[in-house]
Amino acid sequence: MIAAAWTVLLKELRDALRDRRTLLAIVLSSVAVGPLVLVLLSTLVAGIEERAESREVVVAGIEHAPTLHNYLLRQTYRVMPVPQRFEQQLQSKQLGEAVLVIGADFEAELARGEAPRVELVLSSANPRAMAGASRLTRLLQGFTQEQAMLRLAWRGVSAAALQAIEVDERDLASPAARAAQWATLVPFFMLMAVVYGALHAALDTTAGERERGSLEPLLGNPVPPLALVLGKWGAVAAVAMLIALLSCASFLPGQWLLRSETLAAMFRFGVREGMMFLALLLPLAGALSALLMVIAIRCRSVKEAQANATALVLAVSLLPLLSLFSQEGEAPWHLAVPALAQITLMGRVLKGEAMAAWEWALPLAVCVLLVLLCLAFVARSLRAAAMK
Amino acid sequence: MIELRGIARRFVQGRGRSARSVQAVAGLDWVAGDGCISGLLGPNGAGKTTVLRIVAGLLLPDAGQVRVDGIDVATQRQAALARIGVLSDARGLYPRLTARENIVYYGQLQGMSRATAEARAQALAQTLQLEPLLERRTEGFSQGERMKTALARALVHDPHNIILDEPTNGLDVQSTRALREALRRLRDEQGKCIVFSTHLMQEVERLCDQVLVMARGRAVAQGTVAELCALTGHDDFESCFVQLAFGSEAVP
Repeated sequence: MIAAAWTVLLKELRDALRDRRTLLAIVLSSVAVGPLVLVLLSTLVAGIEERAESREVVVAGIEHAPTLHNYLLRQTYRVMPVPQRFEQQLQSKQLGEAVLVIGADFEAELARGEAPRVELVLSSANPRAMAGASRLTRLLQGFTQEQAMLRLAWRGVSAAALQAIEVDERDLASPAARAAQWATLVPFFMLMAVVYGALHAALDTTAGERERGSLEPLLGNPVPPLALVLGKWGAVAAVAMLIALLSCASFLPGQWLLRSETLAAMFRFGVREGMMFLALLLPLAGALSALLMVIAIRCRSVKEAQANATALVLAVSLLPLLSLFSQEGEAPWHLAVPALAQITLMGRVLKGEAMAAWEWALPLAVCVLLVLLCLAFVARSLRAAAMK
Repeated sequence: MIELRGIARRFVQGRGRSARSVQAVAGLDWVAGDGCISGLLGPNGAGKTTVLRIVAGLLLPDAGQVRVDGIDVATQRQAALARIGVLSDARGLYPRLTARENIVYYGQLQGMSRATAEARAQALAQTLQLEPLLERRTEGFSQGERMKTALARALVHDPHNIILDEPTNGLDVQSTRALREALRRLRDEQGKCIVFSTHLMQEVERLCDQVLVMARGRAVAQGTVAELCALTGHDDFESCFVQLAFGSEAVP
């Protein structure tokens, strides 16, 4: 039985690797996506950082507010002129800075002790400008506080009278945890690479075999159906695991492409993390392959199987959102759900958190159980499927 | 030798209240002997394919027993299958593998070593005039080329019993003749037991030593072509078959 399963496995692998569509899926989903995501991510973060370090603000009508101008210069900021039609530019994201608009009466009202109105123009759909907006707000608060202190001092009141309490922020998230907010995307892309990589191979060895009419003659050989299923699953799982391996490996050199030094320092994905990712992804690759085969063996054509497999692909892509939206954070049962468990644990690997032995063992046990159940089911339905 | 004793098989179509059961085979007794080409003849829906699937162990009969060279298919399926070569109704090949790889794959599944299977594929290719196709991927093969490859695949383990489901479908005259010649040689030189189903009278008349006529899941007559013609009193085998399968009122 083992010899027969081995024969089937080798044949299916050869068949799969001659299929251009499978090869394309492997290359696109695993090798290319990793570095691409990292480069895009780093460009975004680097852009935000650049803006934070540039110490420039865009102000319209700064000539009406010499006091504020003086304050900004003392904070070592440069005041940039307003571009033409800045509102449209903000909306179309061409302009990456929020714009402060100052009225003509600013200085006179300030001198009279009235509160002059200024306008902060921003677009919440423009993330680069939002970073600049919070910087401008902080600057304006600083200016307001300075003016208030001056007025109180003029009247002989201590500035401390205005501050009933003092607030100190203490951020408990380590730099690695902060970076992991960005890096949560990485496990998700790896998971999707594994699913899409296994999809075509799994459908071809089951529904494809039915569609070609080659399943009935195959069952005419003196080989138990379980051996056939074992060999087929072995080939599909090997393809899926290859993709997991490649996509983990592709993030290692991808790191050198990181343009943002902060991100590179904080996105900790070394050989050790890669190994831990693999330890999580390999069993999942096996389980997803078996699940896809269960879905596909019920279908008469690859097209039908593709339509039905959409449900599984959708489930795998939506499960990570569960941990994102859930109010209680991580629940213990999350680790018993395939895909959700792996994405949760991969996130924790990136954050550098320690994990208990059972937290490794539970998802592994679930995957093994799933594979056994699925293979038994496919082996049982093979004969009936061949004749319909 | 293939022996069928009291074979019955019923299919249920649909579910629940709309379920309808069809008796595909009802109490069939038949023996296909060694050194003999036996034809299984019947109109569409007579149960020919079901019988052949039961012999190949793909379907379990509701009642009765199938023995291949004395081995019970139900209890010793693997041993029985090793003694049968089946060219089934579905003859799907793997389009991304070459003809040789398709044949050798089945040889290995039959428990042959790679080298033995390769040698056997070469020999079969010679017999079936398949040699120029051996190294080509089967994608884009013509119907006849597919059929020859599938036949070579079914015969790769040199089975003593050969089952062919409508083997001449899609073959041109030359190939049909070559196939007939090959089957005769297998019978005369190696004493094989060959069973084939067809609905072509011409095939049966030219090739079969023994004929079983089936209709509505039952055996309605068996014997040589001459015996059946004598039984019905027709000179023409086609009229003879129509009378046997559909009753005497169906003959014009």
